Amino acid sequence: MSILLLLILIPALYGAILLAFPANVKSFWEVINVAISAFLGYLVLLIWGPPQPISFIRAWAGFGMDFQLRFGQFNQFFIAAICGAVFLIVLYSFTFMLKHPRNNQFYGFLFLTEAMAIGAVLANNLVIMLFFWEAMLITLFAMINSGNGGSYKTAVKAFVIVGLADLCLMFGIGIVEAQAKTTVMTDIHLETTGAGAVAFVLMFIGAMAKAGAIPFHNWIPEASKDAPLPFMVLLPAALGKLLGIYLATRIVLEFFTVSIGMKLFVMSIGAITIVVAAMMALIQTDFKRALSYCTISQVGYMLLGIGTGIPIAIAGGLFQMINQVICECCLFFVGGSVEKQTGTTDLKRLGGLWKDMPLTFLCFAISGAAVSGVPLFGGFISKQMIFDGVLQTNYRIFFLAAVLGALFTAITFLKLGHAIFFGKTVSNQNEIKDAHWSMLTPMTLLALGTIFFGVDHSFPFDYLIKPSLGEGLREAVMDIHYVFSLSQLVWFTFFTLAVAVIDHAIGVRLSGNSIGSSDHIRNAPVLKSVYGLAERQIFDPYVQGKAVGRYAALGLYWIDRGINWIYQSLIPAVADFISQARRFHNGLYANYLAWSLGGFLCLLIYFVGYFK
Amino acid sequence: MLLAFIFVPLLGAAIMPIIRKIWAKGSTWIMTLVSFYLVVTTGWIAYQNFLSSQKLVLTEWLLGQKLALSVDGLSLIALAAIGLVSLVTAIYSAGYSLDPDRRPGYNALLLLIVAGMNGLVMSTDLFSLYVFLEIVSLVAYILIAYQNDVEGLEGSFKYFMLSSVATVFLLLGTTLLFAITGSVSFIDLAAGIKSGNIIVQLGFVSVIFAFLVKAGMIPFHAWLPDAYTAAPSPVSILLAGIVTKICGVYTLMRVVLAVFGFTKSFSLMLLLIGAISVVLGAFLAFGQKNFKRMLAFSSISQIGYMMMGFATGSPLGLIGAAFHFFNHAVFKSLLFINAGAVEQATGTRNFDELGGLAGKMPVTGVTSIIGMLSTAGIPPLAGFWSKLIIIIALWQGGYHSYALIAVFASVITLGYLLSLQHSVFFGKVKQGLEEVHEVKPVFYWPAIIMASITVCCGIFFWFIIPKLILPVSSLLGSMLK
Repeated sequence: MSILLLLILIPALYGAILLAFPANVKSFWEVINVAISAFLGYLVLLIWGPPQPISFIRAWAGFGMDFQLRFGQFNQFFIAAICGAVFLIVLYSFTFMLKHPRNNQFYGFLFLTEAMAIGAVLANNLVIMLFFWEAMLITLFAMINSGNGGSYKTAVKAFVIVGLADLCLMFGIGIVEAQAKTTVMTDIHLETTGAGAVAFVLMFIGAMAKAGAIPFHNWIPEASKDAPLPFMVLLPAALGKLLGIYLATRIVLEFFTVSIGMKLFVMSIGAITIVVAAMMALIQTDFKRALSYCTISQVGYMLLGIGTGIPIAIAGGLFQMINQVICECCLFFVGGSVEKQTGTTDLKRLGGLWKDMPLTFLCFAISGAAVSGVPLFGGFISKQMIFDGVLQTNYRIFFLAAVLGALFTAITFLKLGHAIFFGKTVSNQNEIKDAHWSMLTPMTLLALGTIFFGVDHSFPFDYLIKPSLGEGLREAVMDIHYVFSLSQLVWFTFFTLAVAVIDHAIGVRLSGNSIGSSDHIRNAPVLKSVYGLAERQIFDPYVQGKAVGRYAALGLYWIDRGINWIYQSLIPAVADFISQARRFHNGLYANYLAWSLGGFLCLLIYFVGYFK
Repeated sequence: MLLAFIFVPLLGAAIMPIIRKIWAKGSTWIMTLVSFYLVVTTGWIAYQNFLSSQKLVLTEWLLGQKLALSVDGLSLIALAAIGLVSLVTAIYSAGYSLDPDRRPGYNALLLLIVAGMNGLVMSTDLFSLYVFLEIVSLVAYILIAYQNDVEGLEGSFKYFMLSSVATVFLLLGTTLLFAITGSVSFIDLAAGIKSGNIIVQLGFVSVIFAFLVKAGMIPFHAWLPDAYTAAPSPVSILLAGIVTKICGVYTLMRVVLAVFGFTKSFSLMLLLIGAISVVLGAFLAFGQKNFKRMLAFSSISQIGYMMMGFATGSPLGLIGAAFHFFNHAVFKSLLFINAGAVEQATGTRNFDELGGLAGKMPVTGVTSIIGMLSTAGIPPLAGFWSKLIIIIALWQGGYHSYALIAVFASVITLGYLLSLQHSVFFGKVKQGLEEVHEVKPVFYWPAIIMASITVCCGIFFWFIIPKLILPVSSLLGSMLK
C-alpha cells in the first residue's frame, strides 16, 4: 500500500476507533495517541525530499475525477508541519485534556482532522481536495461543540461562516473545471479574466476562510472562549493557517496567472486583516481572545506578502506562516497553561505570575517578541521581507498598514505581558506553580524553534520555503539570502518598537494600571465610535446576515403561504379528478376490453396515418 | 449453458409430483435451490463474458441451426431480475400458509413460470417468444386464482380476457410478418421487412399493441390492479416484480431493437403513452386505499418511465430504461413483500385500518422506507440513478417537456408513497393493532435482501452502470448496422 495512503488512513481509522469507543481516554491511550502522531511524523521523514514527486492514482468516480495524491517538494513541508503540530498538541493535551469529559471525542476528531488535512494537501485533484477540505468542516463543528456551555452556538456560527466559504470554493472549482476542462491540479493554468476572475475570487475566499482572514474571522475569537484550548491551537493557529496559505499559494502561483487587479484585491484583504484585527486585539481583556485576534492579524501579513507577486515577499509570506504557526501555537499553549493553573484567562484576575510560572513566562516573552517582530526572533526577518516586497510594489498605503499592524501588535503584547506576568499578584494565587512537564515540553520546543529561526534563517529558507515554491519562482528566489544589516528598514522597525514601548508607558501612567494601558487609543476621537460600532457587532457579517435573514424568512413565509393557498385550492380539483378516474375503473371487464380495443384503433389510425 | 436456464426449472417442475409423494416439504427447497442456481449462473455469465472477456453476445444454436437462444446485455439484466425475484418469492412462499398437499403443485407452477420467462428472454424469434409468453400467461392465470377465492378468480379472469386479446393480436402480427418475409427469426424479419408496406405496418401495430397490453400501459392497464391485488402475496411479488415487465416491457424493447428499429412516429407515440402512464398512474395511485392496489398503480407509473427512456432511442435512454427495469424489479418486489408482511401481521391491506406499524414491525418499516425512497428516486438509492439517466436522456433527446413531466411525476410519486408510509407505518397505532408484532424471519429476510440490493446498486452505481448496464447500449449499435 502506498505510504501516501497510509498517511491518510492511519489517522482516519484511529480517529474512527477513538470515536467508536464510548469511554473516556485514559493515560494508557494517551501514550498511544502520542506514539501514533509521532509515527505519522516519522512516515513523512521517511519520504522527505523525493527527487521526483511521488504519485498515487486510482480510478474513482469517472469523468476525469481520479483519486490522485501527490507528494513532492512543493507540499512536503506542509504535511510535515501538520504532523508536527498534531504531535505537539497531543503531547500538550496529555495533561490538559486528561480529566476533560468526552475527551475520546476530542481525540477522535483531532485525528480525523489530521487525516483530512493531510488528504487535502496531498490531493492532486481539486475534487478530491474539496472532499477532504469539506470533511474538515464537520470535524470543526464537532470539536468546537465538544467545549463548554455556549459552544454549540459558536459551533453553528463557525459552521455557517466556513461552510459558506467552502461553498464558494466549490463553485470556484466548478468554474475552473469548466474553463480548464480538468480538475487535475498540476494541469490547471488559467488567466484571471472573465470567468477566470470569478473562479479566482471564489477559490481565494475558500482559502482565506480556512486561514481566518477578515471577514471570515468572527468565529475564531468566540471559539477561543468556548472550545477546548487544544482545538484553538489545532485549527485557527496551526492547520487552518497551513491549509489556507497552502491553497492561497497554489492559487496565486500555480493555477492562475494573476492580473494586477487581483493582486490588489489580495493585498487589500491582507492589509485590512492586519490593521482591523490588530486594532481589535488591542482592546481585548481576555488573554485567549486577544491571541485569536493576533492570529487573524498575522494571516493578513501572509496574504499581503503572497499578493504582491514579488518573489522576496512571497517567500517572506511563507516564512511568516512558519514563524507565526510556531509562535501562535506557543502562545496558545501559554494561554492554556495559565488557564490550567489559575482557572482563568481574564486579564483583570491575573497578575504577577512570572515568579510562580517562570518557564511559562519565558516562553511567552520569546514568542511574544517574535510575533511583535523584535530583531533576532523568528518573525522579524519574515516581516522585513514582506515590508521590502510591499515597498517594491509602489503602493505605500499597504506598507503603512503593515507598519501600523506591527505597532498595534507590539503594544498588545506589552499590555498582555504586563497584565499577566507583572503587576500586583491577585490574592487567590498562592498555590500556583509552573505547568506540568507534558505541557511545558511543547511550549519550550516551540520557543526554542522561534529563536532558532530568528538566528539562523538560512535553514528554513533553503530547506522549507524554497522547495515549497513553484519551479519558476524557486529559481527567482534561489539567490535571495537575507543579510541582516542595519538598513533603513531595520531602523524603522526599532523606531516602531520604541514607539510601542513609549505608548505603553504613557498608557499605564494615564490609566493607572496595565489593563487600561490601551484605553487612550480606544478613546481617541474617531476610534472611540468605530470601536463602539465593532463592539455592537455592526461589522460582524454573521450577525448582520442573521438580521437580513429575518426579513428573508418573512418573505419566504409569504411565498410559502401563497403556494399553500394555490395548493389548498388545487387539492379539491385533483381529488375530484382522481375520484372521477377511479369511477371509470368499475371492475367490468367488458369496459376494460373496450378501452384496450379503443387504444388499438388509435394506434392503428396513428401508424397507418403516418404511413400515408 | 443457456438451455439450462429453461431446463433446470422445467426439470424441477417435472419432479414435483414425485416429490409430493415422498417428501412434500422438499418442494420449497427445490424451488429455492433452482432460483439460487439461476442467480449464480447469471452472475457467472456476467463475470465470464462482460467483466472478463468483454464478449457481449452469447448464442446457443439448437435443432441443427434452426432455433437459437441468445443472451446479450439486456437479456442478462432481465435474467438477473428474474433470478432474484424468483429467489425471494421462493423464500417468501416457504412461510406462506398453503395446503401442504398443494404446495408441490404450487412450486411446480412457480418453476414453470420462471422457465417460461427465461425462455422468453433468450428467444431469438417471434414464434418462440409467443410460445413462452403463452406459457407465462397461462401459469399466471392459475397462480392468481390459486386460492380459489372470488377476488382471485375475478382478477385472474380479467387478466385472462385482456391477455387473450393481446396474444391473439401478437399471433396475428406474427402471421402477417411471416407472410411477408417467410421467416419468424428476428434477423430475417429485420432484413426482410420494408417500411411502407401496409401489411408490415399492420403487423407492427398488432405486435406493439399486444406488448402494451401485457405491460399494462394506460389505457391498456385495467386488468393490472385487479390481478396484482387479488393474487396471493408471493404471487403478487412475482407478478409485480418481474412477470408483467418481462411480458410487456422486455418484449417490446427486444422486438423494437431487433426487428423494427426506431422511427420518429414510434418514438413520439411511445413517449406519449409513457407520459400518460407516468402521470395518470401516479395520480390514480394517490387515490387508493388499498396497500397492494396503490403499489399496482405505482407500477403502471414506473413502467411509463421505462417506456419514456426507451422511446428516446438513444444509448443513454436505453441504459436508463434497462437500469430502471432492474431497479424496479428490486424495489417493487420489496414493497410487495412489505405489503404481504403487513397483511400477514394485521390481516388487512386497507389504509383506514392500518397505522403506526413502524414501531411494531421495525424491519418491515425500515425496508419499506428504503423501497419507497428508491421508487421516488431519492439519492443515493438505485432508483435515483436510473430515473436521473432517463430524465437526462429525455432532455438530451430534445424532449424537454417530457423530461419536465418525468420530474413532476417523481414528485407525485414521493407524495403518494409518503402518504402510504404515513397511513401504514407512522402516526399512532390504530385500535386493534396493539398486539401486532414483526412477522417471521422468512417473511422479512426477502425484504432485507432486496433492500440491500437497492442500497448497494445505488452506492456502487459507478461500478454497476459502466460494467453491467453499459453493454446494453451496444444493442443500438448492432441494430443500426
